[in-house]
Amino acid sequence: MQEFSPSTLLVLVPLLPLVGAILTVLLGRTLGAKAHLPAMAGIAAAAVVAIALLVVTARDVGPAHGAHAEAVRPVEMISTLWNWASFDAAYTPPAGSPATDARLTPHDLGAGKDVRSFSIPVALRLDPLTATMLTIITCVGLLVAIYSVGYMHNDPGYPRFFALVAMFVFSMSMLVAASNFLLVYVFWEAVGACSYLLIGFWFTKPEAARAAKKAFLVNRVGDFGLAIAVFLLWMTYGTLDFHDTISSNGVIMPGILGQTRLADAAGYAGGAVGTAICLLLLLAACGKSAQLPLHVWLPDAMEGPTPASALIHAATMVTAGIYLITRSAPLFSACPGALTMVSIVGATTALIAALIGTVQNDLKRVLAYSTISQLGYMFASLGTGTLLGFTAAIFHLLTHACFKALLFLGAGSVMHAMGGVIDMRRFGGLRRVMPITAATFFVGAAALAGVAPFAGFFSKDEILAALHSKGWPSAHGDHHAAAAADGPFQLIAFSPDAAHATVTAPAVGLDALDRPETWQILFWMSLVTAGLTAFYTFRAVFMTFTGPTRVPEGAHGHGGHGDHGDGGGHDSHGSHGSHGGHESYESPPAMTWPLMILAIPSALVGWLLFSTNWLAHFLSATPSLTAPAVAATATPHVFHMNLAIQGTLAAAIGIVVAAIGHLGRRSDGPQLERFLGPLQTLFANKFYFDQIYSALIVKPLEGLALVAALFDRHVIDGTVDAIAGIPVALGSIVRRSQSGLLQRYALVGVMGVLAIVVLLTWQLRG
Amino acid sequence: MNTMQSLPLLQNALTVGAILFSLGLVGILTRRNLIVMFLAAEMMLQGISVSLVAWSRYHGDWGGHVLVIFVLTVAACEAAVALVFVLQAFSRTGRLDAAAWQSLREANVGRTIDHELPAIDTVPLRFPTLAPAGVLPPADENEPLQREHV
Repeated sequence: MQEFSPSTLLVLVPLLPLVGAILTVLLGRTLGAKAHLPAMAGIAAAAVVAIALLVVTARDVGPAHGAHAEAVRPVEMISTLWNWASFDAAYTPPAGSPATDARLTPHDLGAGKDVRSFSIPVALRLDPLTATMLTIITCVGLLVAIYSVGYMHNDPGYPRFFALVAMFVFSMSMLVAASNFLLVYVFWEAVGACSYLLIGFWFTKPEAARAAKKAFLVNRVGDFGLAIAVFLLWMTYGTLDFHDTISSNGVIMPGILGQTRLADAAGYAGGAVGTAICLLLLLAACGKSAQLPLHVWLPDAMEGPTPASALIHAATMVTAGIYLITRSAPLFSACPGALTMVSIVGATTALIAALIGTVQNDLKRVLAYSTISQLGYMFASLGTGTLLGFTAAIFHLLTHACFKALLFLGAGSVMHAMGGVIDMRRFGGLRRVMPITAATFFVGAAALAGVAPFAGFFSKDEILAALHSKGWPSAHGDHHAAAAADGPFQLIAFSPDAAHATVTAPAVGLDALDRPETWQILFWMSLVTAGLTAFYTFRAVFMTFTGPTRVPEGAHGHGGHGDHGDGGGHDSHGSHGSHGGHESYESPPAMTWPLMILAIPSALVGWLLFSTNWLAHFLSATPSLTAPAVAATATPHVFHMNLAIQGTLAAAIGIVVAAIGHLGRRSDGPQLERFLGPLQTLFANKFYFDQIYSALIVKPLEGLALVAALFDRHVIDGTVDAIAGIPVALGSIVRRSQSGLLQRYALVGVMGVLAIVVLLTWQLRG
Repeated sequence: MNTMQSLPLLQNALTVGAILFSLGLVGILTRRNLIVMFLAAEMMLQGISVSLVAWSRYHGDWGGHVLVIFVLTVAACEAAVALVFVLQAFSRTGRLDAAAWQSLREANVGRTIDHELPAIDTVPLRFPTLAPAGVLPPADENEPLQREHV
């Protein structure tokens, strides 16, 4: 069965949505209202294939053996399609550069010279991490596509939307399946482009166009970091492949994340170079995953269609940063300082975004800040550098993809029914008129807030456990106690040999950050964030779905559809507070079904995956996570009752405070404002990030642009105009001869002929 | 062919050609009537043609003759085109005077006036009409027999 081999299936996952996107582009106008069919068919088929691949990979990994951590065999499969670029002897590293370290970079043996050939194979990989990501991307993508059939109904850009969604699923699948840093970079940009196009989908709206531009430009900063990181990786490791390759002369060239290098305890650069690579990768991840200080684009990205927000800006694309860091886990493990930075960035972002989220009145913006905050959680978890931390981050990524997509789609359903209004102060009590949306939204909110049986509780608990084990190592078993005795990162493989130490500068002072105290602070920050998360989530729930039923002017009942692109329909037959549940505002089935389907994993997947410990076991077979530095941190899978109690307590406090403030009452601002005082202004202005960036970056650049414009207008244009003035001046002299008299023209012609005749005669004589 | 005998012939013919050419040149430079200017230009052309035929005969080469026949053909065509231009020019201005077109001069160049042209209104234009052939068409009172103004 050659045609059903995993490598063929792996190619199909990105290929099918790509074909769907191309068909939608070509046939979109012909199909009209059925333009979703090719894209949706492509994504649906890709989802089936992705699940099949997940099953195949899970079979390769094998079942978990009880709660005890054991050494897991790495599982990976590489499918090389073709060689994109190949240059022999592309680079001769200068003596003394980090690239000459024999431990780090492969040498072309037999050439007699230390030269590197540069080749970029278009290789796709299949390992547990990729299989998990592919499943999330295609399944959420499929549900969002189904939902969009209802949401985007009658939009003039209907085919364009589906083409972009399919294009995005293709790019994102390639991003997580690529087995090469350069390909990752290519598709990193591709998902950014899809994101840009979808944020600016209603490009006639100035805010949407501006938000798209902002997202694109802020992401450029992160992408710049990724580009530099790729250059440094090439300089340091002499390859960009993840996997090991066999060169033409039969020598194994270890890839950056290949099993040869993973087995080598000193295979990864530490010190200044390694830290620089890791920090640049972190910068890239911050850009894509909207972490401090590059988080400012994500709230504005809510100008795009809500399904796109759900798919790209909540469930998948923004998790690319988490994926990148998890994939590069061995690189980070060699640089404890950089790892700690990941956690610090993550926990700080989580806290700040949660604080901003508490005072937002736009339902989608609450969710946007919640997304930033939850992504911060994942970063905090990744930064622990332990196996538990990495798997908990991916676990939270998975549950977050489910419940945040659910919440966004629910918010879209509300927005759809309310005629484009998304300000929570303008509606309320919708649980009576939108029962399905309200019920599913509640499930999503409970999962996000970390209420006990729902998905978010378990993944958040794992993250807290990962942070806790770093802050209080002795509390987590003998294994870590031993590690703590010799310093917290003894188990991280970081053994600079003499040759290496001479090349790299002394380690950046960041490593000093990696102390238990830091982790204790981060743990408390995360716990506070958990409480805040519960608060703002349930504040949104109470404001939207409880209290007396109110719908804004211009909302349309009976599942009718209006123009949600311009913020208000015109088929107005709703009025304030006069409905009392008699009229249904529920969205069409195409929109409610995805909500109900997503509610199931949002409720159950956490408990399922936590109780069986399946995901952690599955992910631990990812080659990157089998690195000794990571794998050695494996801990027995236990349920930390005290952490669970702390987390639940935080969530409960948040919910209770939200209930006191908002349940059954419409007054929003005054109490909260009185309570928070000047802090409220700070939160409502988003910690003045936009203003600071405007003053520090935008305004100076605008000043520079103004200077350049003046120079162009006056100096360059002035020179050009002066040169152009010369023929004008000459012409004004000769112009006098243009009298309009035929005889005079003829006379001049005759004179000319005579002059030529005289001249010729003169010459013939002489 | 006897070149000695044909040399005076050549000289005579060239003289005639030169006279024709010069007359034409003087005509084109001095006359302002468009038709006369056109005729003068034709005269120059014929002067050249005469020279060409003379040289051709002197050298015993038929090429010149052929070329002249060709020039005549082209001149006939050109005459048709040129007369259309002249007629159009006339119907625009009501005059055959080339000076009437000096309004095509550069914007800031002054008008050249030797003497004022008579105003058109003062000279009623009358065009000759051909004698009608065949049955006399019924007279239409509304249609003027001649154009008031061309």
